[in-house]
Amino acid sequence: MTTTTDLTGWTGLQFFGRTTASVSHELKNALAIIKENAGLLNDYLLMAEKGTPLKPERLKIVADRIDQQTRRADTLIKHLNRFGHSIDEPLTTVDLNEIVSLLAALTQREVSMKQATLQLAMGESPMTVKTAPFWLLTFLGHCMTFSLKVLGPEKVLHLQAEKVEDGTRILFSPLSGLQGAGQEDFPGEAEMALLKSLDAACHIDPDAGTLLVNLTNR
Amino acid sequence: MRVLLVDDEVDLASALAERLDLRGIQADWVTTAHAALDKADAVDYDLAILDVKMPKIGGLELRERLHERHPRMKFIFVTGYGSEMDFNKVKCKAGETCYMVKPVAIEDLLKRMKELIGDIGGDQ
Repeated sequence: MTTTTDLTGWTGLQFFGRTTASVSHELKNALAIIKENAGLLNDYLLMAEKGTPLKPERLKIVADRIDQQTRRADTLIKHLNRFGHSIDEPLTTVDLNEIVSLLAALTQREVSMKQATLQLAMGESPMTVKTAPFWLLTFLGHCMTFSLKVLGPEKVLHLQAEKVEDGTRILFSPLSGLQGAGQEDFPGEAEMALLKSLDAACHIDPDAGTLLVNLTNR
Repeated sequence: MRVLLVDDEVDLASALAERLDLRGIQADWVTTAHAALDKADAVDYDLAILDVKMPKIGGLELRERLHERHPRMKFIFVTGYGSEMDFNKVKCKAGETCYMVKPVAIEDLLKRMKELIGDIGGDQ
């Protein structure tokens, strides 16, 4: 028998592990590109030593690739660092736009592996909410995985944070696959435990093709 | 010897292909499994170097499809996975022992290619 706290903790740890594995995989790719292109520069130099003239335009292309991948790696590390710090405060005031942006960054690989495109729509900024950022990211990460499963054939996922009368909400749409089979397992036991700890609510509307996460200020 | 590189990271595949070309090994590159299947139908490759994780069809499934159509083709997998456990998954699923963890040193890659093919030609 698992308690709600155990289940929430385990779910959070799983999400933390999954996310760090995914981001580190991306980092490996960036490093592999840097290494290969640095090796290519070295090849050019060895050829130059043997008398083949250097081609500045080739050098520029390769140097630009290294520069781009260094920036990519730096951005990945920044996101991972922000994610790591999301557990610092059990309850704190955050800008929901920033949370949604971070979610998009952390799940970028998951989205691209599904060959989907993510469109972010930011609401008024800052859109502050008092919440548990790590648990919110964990829950939204589960929403993202579920949304990608029930995404329509156009494979574009629209993600939006917005203010509503009684708080704030995050909208995942258009989920045309909600009308098919297989969506009945969400939210499951783990997600329900997360919602409870966040004091949040989740509403799925198969007709509208939407998944809504409603947050109230705590 | 002719090599096909398949990796969804354009800047990795193109750089590695160029480095092999500079060593006298003819190398083509594509970024999707579908493009790889088309390319392999058009050109007689001795070896394919496959990224394990790619959108839609990954390296393991691609290997099966290529092997069906081109039984003499040899394979080397490259993966961003770092752990021994993940490597074992790759070995088991593909029935291959030739895997390499990114980032790959070209000298190590050439050594693996020689182990698989024998004389790889070129001027490495």
